[in-house]
Formats: sequence, structure tokens, C-alpha cells
Amino acid sequence: MSTFFTAALNRAERLSRILLSLPPGLYLLLFFAVPSLMMLFASFRFSGEYGGLAPWYYIDDGGITLDLTLENWQRLFETDIYLSLLIKSLAYALVTTLICVLMAYPIALMIARSQKRYRDLLLLLVILPFWSNFLVRIYAWMIIFSPQGALTAALNAVTSSFGLEPISLMFSSTAVIVCLVYVHLPFMILPLYANLEKHDHRLLDAAQDLGANRFQCFWLITWPLSLPGIYAGAVLVFIPSLGIFAIPDLLGGTDGIMIGNVIKQQFVESRDWPFGSVLSLVLTAITLVLVLVAAKLGSPAGENNGKK
Amino acid sequence: MKKILCCFVLFVSQFAMAEKALHLFNWNDYIAEDTVTRFEEQCGCKVVQDYFSATEEMMAKLLAGAGDYDVVIPTQNAVEALVKQGFLLPLDKSKLSNLGNTAKGFLDKAYDPGNVYSLPYAFTTTLIGYNEEKIAELGIDPSDWSIIFDPAVLEKIKGKVTVMDDSEELFGAALKYLGYSINDNDEKHLKEAQALILKAKPYWAAFNSSSYIKELTVGNIWVAHGYSSDMFQARVDAADAGRDFSVNFVLPKQGAVLALDNMVIPKKARSPELALQFINFMMAPENAAELTNVVGTGNPNAAATPFIEPEILKISAIFPNDEVQKTLETVAARNAKQRRLINKLWTEIKVR
Repeated sequence: MSTFFTAALNRAERLSRILLSLPPGLYLLLFFAVPSLMMLFASFRFSGEYGGLAPWYYIDDGGITLDLTLENWQRLFETDIYLSLLIKSLAYALVTTLICVLMAYPIALMIARSQKRYRDLLLLLVILPFWSNFLVRIYAWMIIFSPQGALTAALNAVTSSFGLEPISLMFSSTAVIVCLVYVHLPFMILPLYANLEKHDHRLLDAAQDLGANRFQCFWLITWPLSLPGIYAGAVLVFIPSLGIFAIPDLLGGTDGIMIGNVIKQQFVESRDWPFGSVLSLVLTAITLVLVLVAAKLGSPAGENNGKK
Repeated sequence: MKKILCCFVLFVSQFAMAEKALHLFNWNDYIAEDTVTRFEEQCGCKVVQDYFSATEEMMAKLLAGAGDYDVVIPTQNAVEALVKQGFLLPLDKSKLSNLGNTAKGFLDKAYDPGNVYSLPYAFTTTLIGYNEEKIAELGIDPSDWSIIFDPAVLEKIKGKVTVMDDSEELFGAALKYLGYSINDNDEKHLKEAQALILKAKPYWAAFNSSSYIKELTVGNIWVAHGYSSDMFQARVDAADAGRDFSVNFVLPKQGAVLALDNMVIPKKARSPELALQFINFMMAPENAAELTNVVGTGNPNAAATPFIEPEILKISAIFPNDEVQKTLETVAARNAKQRRLINKLWTEIKVR
């Protein structure tokens, strides 16, 4: 009787697991696997005369002939410009992520440690900028950075008193990184807060009772426990920063472009879908690897390893 | 239940409104607001506008399937490509009573013989807009492409120059400076142009096609490579804002790109009848003249001349005389292989 019961339970559990994984599975299939496969196919085709894709086969008297090519992939390695741009974009995204961690950590910690009745308000303030359009906020930064703007004027008043050349913030990589950080900061604060808020306060009390100072409390308890939050936030910041094109377009100088701009160029300016697909796939592959690494680090197993 | 009903009514009324709307896909700042309002009153419909800032952007959007605009304003080379793609509806000339207003010199061009699919809307040139006081102070000649390409000149205005973020326009200007045709597709000449651009690049503040009007108007930059109509706008804006400098523009003597923009109706247009009504409306002398008076475009409409402000008619960068016209060239459509080459050179420019 009891064996029958456990068996039924197991079966029910297995079934519910399958059912539960169905929606995300379908979602991934429809919005990730299928489009990626379409791009993979496109990356081996020729581009059409006026954009789009050329037919991948043609019919002549001998029968059907395939018209596919490796040319688009070869082009990636013909020069080092695409790889060096990729490395530069990775560096931009990495710097952005690190700055976001440094800035978001104190904010998230402060919100998590503040009194419960203020927390909702403080969180609201974090997401408040989302209420206005992304481009409007970038244009606001363009005004702040402009040579006539208060920020640049103040900075130049300081630098010129040291006898230095006036600096220009607009159209520079500094402007690009500042805006990347500005736009993505909430994506680091929110997961970090969600993590920090769940910490068991008794752990800190116990540590203090055992004679740990405040730094030790933070470094030995709060920091390792918050790592999953940091990994989650890092993924949310790093990936969109890597592929972004609007910010470098508007604020970058003559050498400010990132890999996202070149991908956009392929689809918009040169209407070269096959090569655009190649670049997109490379970016997707890099992103996937990084997400897998972050997932591994952020998983419970990874956490345990960290503690040993 | 009431809520659901309300939603339903809203939904249906949206459809009712959609039937009476003209969807216009046009360049930024390329029609006078009053003209739009007058057309809305006349046809009893709404004009829904969508904008683009580069031909390639417009082509990419249309060819990717967003073809249900009623009227699009493509430049001549794009018209050629759209016609070859079978993308356009032939214009029903019997519905266009203002057909005779267009100057003969702008009709029956190679990109659309007999104007089966397109009618001229306006024309612009791509030129140099500049801060008059600063450039005079520095003693630089703005009517020469050297102002954006020659390092010796650029040395004086480093970081105060923007050029168009548009491979066709920038290569066009560079080719003209080197003495070649804008439509030169010789790889050697294009590489020469690329080298020229790379040498000048460190002196430029940015590649910018979207905000140079603003940057010029507030004085952040002193020299911009851009469309004549945009520079006209910058001049008006700077004057209106009461700046202590003025913005002016001039055609470089080596020659420049002339863009003839046209009105076309896509095959997938939702209301082609309304589209024809709009095209006819825009060819009426007062409406065509308003485009020039407000936006500062060149005007292919001969009947509009008496309505155009005389000061604008005198500006050679907007209404080039025969002699200046000889130095201007229109861009021809490039094929996939040529686009690929230009794009490779362009990407190299952007990365290095």
C-alpha cells in the first residue's frame, strides 16, 4: 500500500516538474532557440541585392542547387577589427559592471538595513528614473556633459586653476561609461537588495558576540552571503551593456562605438543580414558562456564551495 | 461589464480613427507644422508621422516589412531601389490636378523615367554649417572641404567639428575633396577617401547626424557637416534664441551631394486615395512654398516661387544657380557588393 502510494507520489512529482518546466522551456524555444537557428541559417546565406536575404537555392535544368557560403564567417577573421572591437566592448561592459557593484552595494545595504516602513519608498526612488523614457534620460546627460553645461564648466574651473587644458566630457568614452552605469545601476541594486534583505540578522549578532569587528562581520558574513545577488546583478548589467548601441551612438566620440553599433550597421546601413547574423551569434555565444559561468557561481553548490 | 464595454468602444473607435489617418514616413524636420494642420482640416483626417534621419535607415525599415505607410519621402537613389524591388504603387495622375506646377527640370529623371511612381517633394544639399564669428575670427575658409578634412585647418578647430554619421555622405564629401565623383566605386579611390577620413578623424568631436542642429545652435561645436535644411534650421534657432553668434552655411566649392526627395506611395499603403490627396496638396504652390519658407529646402515647384521669401531664393546653397548646380551630384544606388566594401571601410574608420 505504502509503496503504491510513494510510486504515485513520485509520478505526480515528476509530472508536476515537467509541467512546471514547460512554460519556460517553450519560452526559450520560441524566443531564443528558434530565432538563433534562423540567424545561424542566415549567416550561411548571401545577402539580397537590396537587402534581406538572397534565395538559398535555385532551380536550373540540372535540378536544385544550394547557394550557401562560408564567406560571412571568414569575414570575421579577415581583419582583427571585429575581434578588437569585441574585446573593447567586453572591457566597457566589465568596467560598467564593476562600477555598478561598487555604487550599488552601499545603496542596497542601506535600504536593506533601513526601517521596514521606509524600504518601499527607497525602492521606489531607485526605480523612479524608469518612469521617463530611456532616450530622454540620455539626452538629459548630453545637456549635462555639453561644454556649456554646469558640470563641464565646474570641472574646467578646477582643472584650469592647476594650469591644465580644459577637458571635454561630451563625445567621449567617459560619457559613454557614465551613462552605461547610470542606466544599469537599478539592475544591480534590486537583486542585491533582494539578497541582502533576506540575510539572517542573528548571524551578525553571533559574530559580534564572538568578537568580530564590523569589517570582519561584513567581509566574513555579509559579503560571501551576498555573492549570489552580485552575480545575478552582474548578469543583468553586463549583458545589456555589452550589446548596447544607443549610448555610444549619442555620446561616444569618433572612436566610441561598441560591437552593438557594428551589428546595427549591418542591419540598417549596409543591409547585410548574413554578416549581421554572424556578429550577433558571436555576441550571443559569448553571453551564453558568461551566463553559464555566473549561474554556476551563483548556484547553491557554488556558494558552498565558497564557504569551505 | 461597463469597463469591458468601454474598452470595446475605445477599441472600435481606434479602428474608425485608423481609417481616417494618413501615415507619413518622412525625414526629420521636413514638413511645416501648419501645412500638416491645414491638410488635416481639409481631408478631415489625422496625419500620423514617423521619421527617419538616413536613407539607409528608411530602406532598412521598409524592406524589413514596415511597408504600410501611405506616403514615404525617399531620396532619388532610394526611389530607384524601391522601384526595382516592385515596392511602389504607380501614381494615378488623373487625381493630381497640381501636376503641372513642378519645374520640368526635376521631372523624368533616370531613377524614375516618366515619373510613374514618384513626384519631387524638395531638394537639399549636404554642406558645411558653421559658427560665423568663430570661423571669421580664426580666418578659416568655410567654402572648402578642407575645413573638415585638412589637418592643418582642423588644428585650429579641434574637437569643435562634427561630420555626418552616414557612410554615403561622408565618403561623398571625401571623394569630392579628392576630385572624384561621389558615385566612384573604384576600390583604390575609396581607400584614398578612407585614408583621408582617418587622418582627419582625431580632430572631429563625433560622427553625428541627429543632434548637430542643437550643438551648432548652442555653440558646442563650430563646424558641422550636414543637410542644408538642417543648417537653415540651426540659423533660425540661433537667431531666435538671441545667441551672441550666428550660424551660417555654405556649399564647398569642390562640389557636394544634391539630394532630390520624392513623394511615393508603397504598394501596401492603407489608404492610397488619401495619399494621392496629400501628394496633390503638397504640390499646391502655397504649401510647397511653406516647406521652403519654414524648413529651408530647395523647391522643385515652379509655381511656388512667387510665394517663397525673396531672401531664401537668394541663398545659393538652397537654390543653387546653374553654375553651382554643375558641381553638385546625386547619389546613385549601390549594389550589395559595393555596399559591403563601403561598410567594411566605414567599420574600419569607426574602430580605429
